[in-house]
Amino acid sequence: MSETFLFEGAPVPIRDGQSLAAALTEAGERVFRTTESGAGRGVFCGMGVCQDCLVTVDGRPNQRACMTLARPGMTVARQEPRPALKAPPETPKSAERLSPSVLVIGGGAGGLTAAIEARKGGADVLLLDERKVPGGQYYKQAALPDMEPLDAQQEDGRALVRAAQEAGVVILSGVAVWGAFEGPEIMAASENRVYAITPRALIVATGAYERPAMIRGWDLPGVMTVGAAQTLWRSYHTLPGKRVALFGNGPLTAQVALELSRGGAEIVYLGERAPSPLRRMGAALRMMRHDWPLAQKGLGMIAALMRRGIAVRHDARPVAIEALPDGLQIAIQRGGRRETVVADAVCMNFGFQPQNEILRLLGVRMRYDPNFDQLRPDRSDHMGTSASGVYAIGDCCGLGGAPAACDEGIIAGRAAAGLSGSGDGPVRQQLAAHRRFQDALWSVYAAPPPRLEDVEADVLVCRCEAVTKAALDASLDAGSTDIGAVKRATRVGMGRCQGRYCAPALAGYMARRTGADPQDLSFFAPRVPIKPVDIGTLVAAETLIPDESGDDSAA
Amino acid sequence: MTAPPDLLVIGGGITGQAAALAAADRGAKVEIVDFGRNAGSAANAGSLHVQMQSRFLRLNPHLADNLESSLPLYLSAVTAWEALDVRLGGVELTREGGLMLAETPAQMAFLEQKAERETAKGLDVEILGQNALRRIAPYLGAEIIGGELCRNEGKLNPLLANNRMSDALTAAGVVIHRDRIDEIVDGPVPEAHGARAYRAKRLLVAAAWGAGSMLRTVGLTIPTEPEPLHMNITEAGAYEIHHLVQHAERSITLKQFRSGQVVIGGGWPATRGAGDSVPGVRLRSLAGNVALAGRIAPGITGLRVLRTWAGYNTPVDGKATIGPVHPTSGVFLALPGDAGYTLGPIVGQTAAALALGWEPPLDPEPYAPTRWAAAA
Repeated sequence: MSETFLFEGAPVPIRDGQSLAAALTEAGERVFRTTESGAGRGVFCGMGVCQDCLVTVDGRPNQRACMTLARPGMTVARQEPRPALKAPPETPKSAERLSPSVLVIGGGAGGLTAAIEARKGGADVLLLDERKVPGGQYYKQAALPDMEPLDAQQEDGRALVRAAQEAGVVILSGVAVWGAFEGPEIMAASENRVYAITPRALIVATGAYERPAMIRGWDLPGVMTVGAAQTLWRSYHTLPGKRVALFGNGPLTAQVALELSRGGAEIVYLGERAPSPLRRMGAALRMMRHDWPLAQKGLGMIAALMRRGIAVRHDARPVAIEALPDGLQIAIQRGGRRETVVADAVCMNFGFQPQNEILRLLGVRMRYDPNFDQLRPDRSDHMGTSASGVYAIGDCCGLGGAPAACDEGIIAGRAAAGLSGSGDGPVRQQLAAHRRFQDALWSVYAAPPPRLEDVEADVLVCRCEAVTKAALDASLDAGSTDIGAVKRATRVGMGRCQGRYCAPALAGYMARRTGADPQDLSFFAPRVPIKPVDIGTLVAAETLIPDESGDDSAA
Repeated sequence: MTAPPDLLVIGGGITGQAAALAAADRGAKVEIVDFGRNAGSAANAGSLHVQMQSRFLRLNPHLADNLESSLPLYLSAVTAWEALDVRLGGVELTREGGLMLAETPAQMAFLEQKAERETAKGLDVEILGQNALRRIAPYLGAEIIGGELCRNEGKLNPLLANNRMSDALTAAGVVIHRDRIDEIVDGPVPEAHGARAYRAKRLLVAAAWGAGSMLRTVGLTIPTEPEPLHMNITEAGAYEIHHLVQHAERSITLKQFRSGQVVIGGGWPATRGAGDSVPGVRLRSLAGNVALAGRIAPGITGLRVLRTWAGYNTPVDGKATIGPVHPTSGVFLALPGDAGYTLGPIVGQTAAALALGWEPPLDPEPYAPTRWAAAA
């Protein structure tokens, strides 16, 4: 721990491989940026989606601390809402045009499996992953070079990454996709390189991000997604706080509670939205029958929690969080009772939203699923979408879990390499079994999803632009009928996260209010950039675009 | 059946809204029919243009005279926006001027000639050398050797303006119908036909690129082909760019909202949406437009681009079309012809005044629709 960087002028120790977010969290820093109103924000999603952990790094404003490697000697400052207009230090990016036969976007369970399979089929395969270390959210790999796998799940992930490397898959880590155009033509960038990629076949395996509960205080520093806390621990060996409260729906929350507890955190509350599985024995037995090893793993987890004195409190959900001098106080509704607890970190996961921006930009036909307020692509038996040469697998098509994503990866990888057909039988059976297990699992965990109807008037729905539920209601009451009009009227979804949290919630709310199936129109029109892109990247990208007819003459 | 309204406005963008509000404010009974999608004003960026845009001159050299003869209209347009700013209770309108930049002596010479012609038309313009320019615009790049400052220009926040306008129309009792008009029938009580028929004592067409097809039935052939244009917006920075910034030769407009966000546009092409879908964004325009902005104003390069979108401009012939289809017609036109957001209010208000028999805020004669009847 001899190396340090400066945060607000004071040295912060780093361990090799740590992200800025992890190093700052370990140092007890909670507030990474301040908003227009002066409120503090910190790590929330932990995976580069929410844009709330922004800091200024060496004179370059608005850098995501969760995605930035901490380096000795860096000068880091809390991000003010409106930095001075000053050109940051020049760091020219090189530009490269690539045309692999198969491009896989996303280095999680599905993407890695698809890449390996396409490579086995003889294709040259390029895989892009936004994180510094491949593995995705399920296999979440250690980012510290000297860190051994924590458990079998991480071990399996390490083996899968190695298998991909040994198969000859070219993996580019730390590369974010910011544009998708007809072709398909994929635009991506790392810290110092810009890519234009025109593959023969594209496999989108971008996974999902977590759905929070929009409750009072969900924007406070110290409140984060369950996945963000898991990344801090599994990738960086950093605890989100000493006393941790976790709330959610589904097995991930309990798993992370156990992991954090083993890592030394005090789990002050573990709340599950669904009632006890003992009250849903039918579904629980079905789950065991479909995949006994997985079910066994779940039972083992609950036993391990009990041995550590951590009880799962069922039928419990957080209703408000308040910052007190000694921590975050959470008001909890458990059955008919109110409880309160104080913690240093509050973690929430109430389901997942698919990251389908690339699919939507490519014009893939989608269908609205009213049960989850989300869009899902129409897919063929081979995971092909309505866009020619574009496949979609795993949780970016709606939650199916890692095992199913791997099955889909095998099918799509073979198809993308031109091998689809005869050999798919066993994997299709396996996929059907994994889907049945998922169905049974979510019958056990069935619970009402968080809905905008239940959000209080003065609570923020759009974190980025600080738009309250009341402001949305006022716009809807004034007669706004499409989501674009609500956006223009209230600024909802106009901020840096580009509506990733508010848009699905609002789309569902509007669908239920009007009784109309919103289809594709219900979300904000898909637009590049997929995530905010720095101007230096666009300057470099310009050199990759063939010059048609002078620069800027309108057609 | 209830009595027909005094004025039915077709098109709920800024032109039609301003027409409706002006009429309602003077006691007329007004209704608007708007398709509700892809309206130009819903995608606008809020520049108040006055000086001749180099882009238009470059692309349409044959229309330069039309543009120059419209300069007085642009001056009246800014005055109309200032009044509207007051009427609507503030739309963050500022008139701190617009800059047109030069990087070469040839561009400077072009600006000097342009400034001379504009001065003759009553514009408040001045040629600035590099140092004078640097003093008022320190965010500019080193390649900029000078420019023209037009003090009549400015900008406003279009989201705020559009919201306040909607509120004002509601408060003034203007009824808004969601419908798409396919056909217009002239007569003593003219009609507009969409999913249903609408009758009114006077009909005002402010439908921009939708106007051409619906006007065929009244004997006018107007080219209202939409021009899909690209726009970008960055995250917020300190409010330091007070001018509307353009370039003498390259396609760019750049300005900063009070929110601190920088809007980059200037006429880079987008793709026309299929059917009713929104226009699409081109990679070339995104990269080219933003890279150019970054070279002109390196101060913005610390900000990231948050969003892009595209909207429809309707240049027509570079000149507004205002007034009745023919001297005794009940159908009136309000088409700004390029720079629709700047010109929308004055064009709409003038057309509404003519339709209702009131004194128009400017002499409409040069903009009469009769020039299109000849072509029919």
